[in-house]
Amino acid sequence: MNILIGTVLIGAGALWLWLQLPNEEWRKASYRASLDTFLFTAPRVIVALLGAGFFAELLPEDQVRQLLGSEAGITGVLLAIALGPLTPGGAFVSFAIGAAALKAGASPVAAIAYVTSWSLFSTTKIFAYELSFMGRQATMVRIIVSLPIPFVIAGIASLLG
Amino acid sequence: MLSLKNIAADPPPEQKSRRVFDGSFLVLLVLTLVGGIAVAVVSGWGRVGDILLETFGFLTILAPKIGAGIFIAATLPILLPRDRVGRLIGRESGVRGLVVAAACGAALPGGPMMTFPLAAGLGVAGADMGAVVAFISGWSLLGLNRTLIWEFSFLPSDLVWTRYLLSLPVPVLLGLAARAVMQRRPA
Repeated sequence: MNILIGTVLIGAGALWLWLQLPNEEWRKASYRASLDTFLFTAPRVIVALLGAGFFAELLPEDQVRQLLGSEAGITGVLLAIALGPLTPGGAFVSFAIGAAALKAGASPVAAIAYVTSWSLFSTTKIFAYELSFMGRQATMVRIIVSLPIPFVIAGIASLLG
Repeated sequence: MLSLKNIAADPPPEQKSRRVFDGSFLVLLVLTLVGGIAVAVVSGWGRVGDILLETFGFLTILAPKIGAGIFIAATLPILLPRDRVGRLIGRESGVRGLVVAAACGAALPGGPMMTFPLAAGLGVAGADMGAVVAFISGWSLLGLNRTLIWEFSFLPSDLVWTRYLLSLPVPVLLGLAARAVMQRRPA
């Protein structure tokens, strides 16, 4: 159901955008860029999904539940926050890992904490792009002001149940 | 209001190709191969085959969404040139500037190789550190393309909604915090 709603929304967005292309030349440029993006994204998506599938199989459920499940409490959330920045690769990698961990018994709050921490502090993003484009000072300011966020979000999420 | 439409007489901008194989992809590839071999050792090659089938089945269901998402991610940057977004964010100030920056970050598709060069250009267009932080955080926490394509596909929807709604005010708050930090420092 989720996938269907997302597909309809994204499809409508794509159709609207296609209608904005003024002529054949622009449409050709858009197709070329789309093909380029596809060739870049497709291998990553396939490999990431397969990797997540393999690791979900290998994850020991007892230990995942013990370390990241609801009973693990604050320690589990802290561990989830610490794992976020260490995740290599793009968004689908972290979401696939979050889904694998949920399946193996991790608590939803831990999954939210993990995704939030990855979003803000992915080391791939920071070291490969942010430091080189933004410089050290801007990167440090952003990281420092963002530090409390995963903890605050996880705290509110756990209060909401 | 920002107009997407370019004059039909203008040619579309030149596109640069990206390298398919880079360091992070190789890391991912090695991890996946090691994972696959480990599954084969623990549960046999049959289980590896099952996971392959499951994964490609899931990809088939996702394919229309991924295709449309890729089209948006590739086409929007052509139609909406960077300097125009930069000017839009740069000319706003106050909390309104932070809201505009966060909304632009959430709405613009694309990975870090698109977002950070744009963020670096914001300063040139007149935006302050608060707007830059709000823009990057809006993209990181609230990116619409990413949430609609990937997050809703993998994670339960109540979890995604909870995370998204709790994160909604965060980019603007971080922008305010960044402004406060910058004011305390000697220029």
